[in-house]
Amino acid sequence: MSRALRLSHTSLQDLLAVAAIATAVALPVVLLSVGGGVSAHERAQLEGSGFEITISAPGMHGIGNSHALASQIDAIPNVSAASPVLSDPVDLFAPEGGSEPALAEGVLPGPFLATLSASERSAFPSPLPLGDPTDAPHFANGTYEGVATNDLLVASPLAAALNVSVGETLRLADGPNASRSVPFTVTGEFGTPGGALGPLAGFAVVLPLSDLQILTGTARLNGTSGPILDQVDSVEVSLGGAAATDPAAVDRAAAAVQALVPYYGVTTLASQVAQLDQADAVLTGFYLALSSTAVVIGLLFLTLVLLRRVEAERRSIGIRRAIGLPARSIVGRLVGRAGLLAGGGALAGVAAGAIAVRVLQSYGTGDVPTIAALAVFDPVTILELVAGTVALCLLASIAAARAALRLPLAEALR
Amino acid sequence: MTTVRAPTIELRGVRKTYGTGPGAVRALDGVDLRFESGEFVSVEGPSGCGKTTLLNLVGLLDQPTEGSIAFDSTPVARLPERERARRRLTGVGFIFQRFYLLPTLTAAENIALPMRGAGRPAAERSARTAELLASVGLTDRKDARPHQLSGGEEQRVAIARALANDPGLLLADEPTGELDRANTEVVLDLLVAAQQRTGATLVLVTHNPAVARRARRHLTMADGRVVGDVREA
Repeated sequence: MSRALRLSHTSLQDLLAVAAIATAVALPVVLLSVGGGVSAHERAQLEGSGFEITISAPGMHGIGNSHALASQIDAIPNVSAASPVLSDPVDLFAPEGGSEPALAEGVLPGPFLATLSASERSAFPSPLPLGDPTDAPHFANGTYEGVATNDLLVASPLAAALNVSVGETLRLADGPNASRSVPFTVTGEFGTPGGALGPLAGFAVVLPLSDLQILTGTARLNGTSGPILDQVDSVEVSLGGAAATDPAAVDRAAAAVQALVPYYGVTTLASQVAQLDQADAVLTGFYLALSSTAVVIGLLFLTLVLLRRVEAERRSIGIRRAIGLPARSIVGRLVGRAGLLAGGGALAGVAAGAIAVRVLQSYGTGDVPTIAALAVFDPVTILELVAGTVALCLLASIAAARAALRLPLAEALR
Repeated sequence: MTTVRAPTIELRGVRKTYGTGPGAVRALDGVDLRFESGEFVSVEGPSGCGKTTLLNLVGLLDQPTEGSIAFDSTPVARLPERERARRRLTGVGFIFQRFYLLPTLTAAENIALPMRGAGRPAAERSARTAELLASVGLTDRKDARPHQLSGGEEQRVAIARALANDPGLLLADEPTGELDRANTEVVLDLLVAAQQRTGATLVLVTHNPAVARRARRHLTMADGRVVGDVREA
């Protein structure tokens, strides 16, 4: 083989080794930066919530007697608001004939506004133009015989899609059947806060709890005649003053709430953050496990390239050993080579990962650009990744170094 | 003049077998030899008679299957590779038929390589390299890489490299095998001059009787044995 051809072979092998390591590093860079970004975003949203305690029902069951429960929770010390929330998919029918599916949230207007974070609250008109802030007139102590306002707040993207504005009428149904729809008056619009991870946030309506319960059949068993259900999906509880930021006060309030509803789940914001952290750790472990497969393949490739290098340079290695150069100088050359390839590959991988995230932001489909935009490049994580990869590559070069030191000298010089 | 500590080398019952079983090849078959300090010895014989194997064993590149090798009465054949490498670096200078210069290094870097390995200071290395380049007449070729040198020049660089650490033992395996007559004379003159100047022991393997005649002692090998040992008066 000519010298030029040998050199080009060597360069190609080096290039492939760098490419393998770069791929192995790019994968965790993308996964960890995007995954970490999403987690950080979720955490920030959670920590920025306007409530400290959440009550949820296990399985498919809802929380019953929610109006009364909210009143009982209101009486617990330090509680400033208890907001029962019923979420249900509905269909909206515009006067001009169009229809759109949307997520409807039935709320008690006053407590709902009180349990929003400052940024969420800024997206809504205040006070909420949904009739009585307590929803008491229509609820009428569980008879649902009071006057329903049938007021409706529509998210601005949805209003634009249906071409409706304040004062106009929209019909709502608990399904696509327009004949079962009920007329509502649009009394306001609300902006969609940066709910990057909530695709339904753009297509949502907010209405009085009792109105939605009647519409979805969760007011009373068998429509309006059976025993009272007054069902919701969750109750969000906010604390007032310093208690909101005092973990002990939050725990005390949560314990008091739990005593009221022993069969429902009661979680504090802190425990939700902890759960998120746990899920994040599991996800990170999964990302790393997935990435380690790529790293192992990269390392195997590098080892093969280095072993091939030893084979190709057996005479050169033989000469160095014949002269009597110390083993460390022979090993040092190989380890140095491995370090160079690994370092180059790792840095190329970081760059490739960053470019891949940028490409996803610009050219991804569906929610991918929004999610990719949340990516966070943590310098410490990236430094650890690069250092770890280089260290593993140096370990991988041991096989080549051993092969070099075990070359039979007489044969290598033949 | 630089004089070196040239060892007396003694081989007793040295056998070397390559491979095992029916396919095994006995390269050396019971060699008893003694090289006196400062001798210039030629080793002749047909191809495959064991000349290079003998040189490899004496130069601590390989280990005998049986028998012992001693430098100044100190057994060296079974030393660990690390210790043998150290002795090769500081006490043995090799000159190969195919020169075996490192292709990525310049002439000067090839010459300085053993000194780097021995940990000699940069200034000392630089001065010694210049001295050696001058002694082989290649001062103006110090930056040339092996592929830019002629065969004769390459072998002169190899001789300079072999002398770099002032070894007491010089081992030359067919050093003129790939050279024309003019370069053969130049290389031989350099080797003989270096041996005489330093007082090192020089063992030179050759097929060429004209080359062998420059030595003062002549060994002849056949079938892995020393079959002739003639010392000139």
